[in-house]
Amino acid sequence: MLWHKAWMDTRWRFLTGGLVLLLSAMGTVFSFQLVAGSALSIGAVPQDGGLVSQAIREAVDLSRTFRGFVWLNAFSQNLTQLGVLFAVLLGSGGLRTEAAGTLYTLSLPFSRGALMSTRAATGLLELVALTMLPPLAIVALAPAVGERYPVVEALVHGMCLFAGTAVFFSLTFWLSTLFSDPWRPGLIAFGVATVIGLCESLLFRSVAWGLFHVTSAESYFRGAGVPWLGLLVAGAASAALLQRAIAAVERQDY
Amino acid sequence: MADSHVIECTGLSKQYGSRQALDGLDLHVPKGSIFGFLGRNGAGKTTTIKILLGMVSPTGGSGRVFGLPVDNPASSVDIRRRTGFVSEEKDLYDGMSVAQLIDFTARCYPRWRRDLQEQYVRSFELPLDAGVKTLSRGTRTKLALLLAFCRGAELLVLDEPTSGLDPVVADEVLQQLVGHVAREDTTIFFSSHQLAEIDQIADRIGIVHRGRMMLAGVLDDLRQDFRRVQAVFEHDAPALTSSAPGIVRVRRQGRVLSVTANGNVDAIVAEAHGLGAVAVDVTAMPLKDMFLEIVAGEN
Repeated sequence: MLWHKAWMDTRWRFLTGGLVLLLSAMGTVFSFQLVAGSALSIGAVPQDGGLVSQAIREAVDLSRTFRGFVWLNAFSQNLTQLGVLFAVLLGSGGLRTEAAGTLYTLSLPFSRGALMSTRAATGLLELVALTMLPPLAIVALAPAVGERYPVVEALVHGMCLFAGTAVFFSLTFWLSTLFSDPWRPGLIAFGVATVIGLCESLLFRSVAWGLFHVTSAESYFRGAGVPWLGLLVAGAASAALLQRAIAAVERQDY
Repeated sequence: MADSHVIECTGLSKQYGSRQALDGLDLHVPKGSIFGFLGRNGAGKTTTIKILLGMVSPTGGSGRVFGLPVDNPASSVDIRRRTGFVSEEKDLYDGMSVAQLIDFTARCYPRWRRDLQEQYVRSFELPLDAGVKTLSRGTRTKLALLLAFCRGAELLVLDEPTSGLDPVVADEVLQQLVGHVAREDTTIFFSSHQLAEIDQIADRIGIVHRGRMMLAGVLDDLRQDFRRVQAVFEHDAPALTSSAPGIVRVRRQGRVLSVTANGNVDAIVAEAHGLGAVAVDVTAMPLKDMFLEIVAGEN
């Protein structure tokens, strides 16, 4: 029954997220030919060594192939950003911030650990679906534009996307035990994501275990293999945050 | 636990920061009773209820329900399995329909009473397809009661069950409570600051004030024992020197000495005569006056 309740509480966020992420993946696939054609018509980008022209040059180069275009647009940008957005939304709304029914929930014959674990597990399962479906949709839709995308590659990207966004889910889940309103946990989590993203893109571009580096599976895309260390660190961070959230709720007065 | 007590609390305390919500509360609720837990707003009624159900941890003292410690998480689950609860806000799941909420709750309780469910859906005229969010205050209260009644609970804990209801619906709710106890083997512990409704249905009461139990007992016994003794003197009333047990409050106003007593009335009357009273009058006190005397005396 707790699974059912957790699903009822989060289903609209999950379904909206699923729709938005799938539309994003579809948009990437079906815009490839248009963008690739433009990229091919662009001549050589001047090599002046600046960050901007370097980024433009790389974007043009990547957009010449379907694999590069999908990674650049979907995995390193849209799916990562949207994935973080919906991970935060799924992680918000804990026991404290339930609009109605907190005391009713607490009067049921379940331990707080069971209540929180079920909520966390439901949210993580929904996040698995949100992060695995878009890469698989890319695999399924690629033939429609005359391309192919390997299933294994899609699965690895989905796994990395899940591991990275799960950190923000867990962060929001934990923050929701500290605040009684539904807004602050989400805003703080977005703030943390923005700071990490800026630090990684401006200061630590080559750090292989950076959170967004792992989320976008950049090292895997560039042929360096699955970022196991980064996945492990992200998984450990998520587990620690979830454990803190459950421990916090077990001590709280309502 | 003593077999006869469903709830037993001794020296129960709860501090929120610098605020002392409960200050050594003693509470004993016998099995099968309708216990009215009376107190002003902020007296500690809701905090006590939340401690009993494991929603709040006590900072001192001990509490047991069905003989199980309330501050042990595993015991608390067992207590809640055997207890029906209605919160003051009638806190329910607004996102569900009435039928969905009943079905959800039924699945949480192995001893759910389908027969009672059907009976109360009919008698409360609950709209099964309506969203919980759309229900009126009265219908919401009836739904909350159904959800508490049908759990097959041995104990019903109701926090201000009639708050916000019009007198007709409030009376209907109280009648249903009495009827439920008459049919089922249930103990009811309900908090209220509505003296009339406690007077109407409770067989035992406890008056809590500033986190402490000021008076508890069988309501009929209290009615029997609680008396106001008014002694009139020829000149200004003298001070009462007695330290006789049972004196709750003494007031002197001109020639009149007024004593509120919980028992031991004969000794007080004798002392008044001894002090030279020209007339001594003993009157019974309604619950409202008992409550006001105790609370005002403390203030």
